[in-house]
Amino acid sequence: MSTDDTIDPASGGNLIAAEYVLGVLGAEERREVERRLAQEPALASEVAFWEERLGGIADAVAPVAPPPHAWSQIEAAIAADARPQAAASLWQSIAFWRSFAIGAATLAAASIAALAYIGLVPGSPPPLMATLAGSSGQPNFVAAVTATGNNLVVVPAALLTNDPRAMELWLILPGPNQRPHSLGLIQPGQPIRLTIPPDLLGQFTPDAALAVSLEPPGGSPTGQPTGPVIASGKLTSL
Amino acid sequence: MDADATRSQLAAALVRVAGGDRAALRLVYQDTSAKLFGVCLRILKDRGEAEDVLQEVFLTVWRKAASFDPGRASPITWMVAIARNRAIDRLRASAVSRRMEPIESADAVSDPAPAAVERVEMAQQHQRLSRCLAELEARHASAIRAAFLDGTTYEELAASMSVPLGTMKSWIRRGLLKLRACLEA
Repeated sequence: MSTDDTIDPASGGNLIAAEYVLGVLGAEERREVERRLAQEPALASEVAFWEERLGGIADAVAPVAPPPHAWSQIEAAIAADARPQAAASLWQSIAFWRSFAIGAATLAAASIAALAYIGLVPGSPPPLMATLAGSSGQPNFVAAVTATGNNLVVVPAALLTNDPRAMELWLILPGPNQRPHSLGLIQPGQPIRLTIPPDLLGQFTPDAALAVSLEPPGGSPTGQPTGPVIASGKLTSL
Repeated sequence: MDADATRSQLAAALVRVAGGDRAALRLVYQDTSAKLFGVCLRILKDRGEAEDVLQEVFLTVWRKAASFDPGRASPITWMVAIARNRAIDRLRASAVSRRMEPIESADAVSDPAPAAVERVEMAQQHQRLSRCLAELEARHASAIRAAFLDGTTYEELAASMSVPLGTMKSWIRRGLLKLRACLEA
């Protein structure tokens, strides 16, 4: 076989994902694959297969510490980035309140529902709320801690996919080395009231965040998120 | 720290990045920037270019953290893929014809034993990859490793190994087919 250096050209087509991941394609071929990736889930999962399996070859590369100024440049680039920020800046921004007033009907309804659920009364401490947005910045859920502090109300703000997977809500605490804490499963189509686990009662603070991941029916089997995060946002005092 | 714990912490940090947490991005940077800079530098062979690409990589991580799927990919594999794609795109875009490295230099660095702390991947999967690569013809495996590490095109690989382009394509495609069969077995 090693003397025969020809190969069935047809088999080359099945290997385009592997060739893309390997890095042997030219610029135009790479753009072509990337264009197809957006439309062909089968090709995307082939690429994911090869990225995961060939990734180990990168172990051969010795780590090289980047220069100290690299991080400050990244920080500056991020500060200048127009990526929509969830929760905190959203709730405080005038533009948000304007769109809240004139346009975002589903989010407005969800927010009002959440406020009604938590029993907001004048004079009570400011409630903690979070708008959980997806990667596009689209708000998917509004979550609020009830006035008693024992419950969390989660109201869907947008129609989500009919993905059969369960949606699990996580509390993510600020600070290094924090693992997400499960708060339970939520429903895509209806508001739900969750009891906050006793050990997490004092942990709902304005720097913590909430996230929703897609999980197998019944929830994550490992106690940690195993599926994609479809929405997340920081808690903030209203 | 064991590999599983590192992996979960990195995944948790990426979830927080998806929520707009800059402190979490800093943690991700501290854990991964040396590895990713090494990957970019290996492909680009130029520190300035590699620094530019590293910045693009973390900006991409910042914007796309929500699309990271911990059930499908390990965090470091996901980030290495972003780094390689960015570095390869930069390499292709650069008008400067690049310095060809003899293929032996890729062989020389392709199999050092990684330090335990760098092993943020599942060891099993990597053992399998090593075993499957070892089953290939040596020159096919060399070409695949060199392509992955250096981001070289078929044309550049053929030139550096002094074989016709068709032969190089055939070696790599043969190698990939056999590798897929072995990895899926």
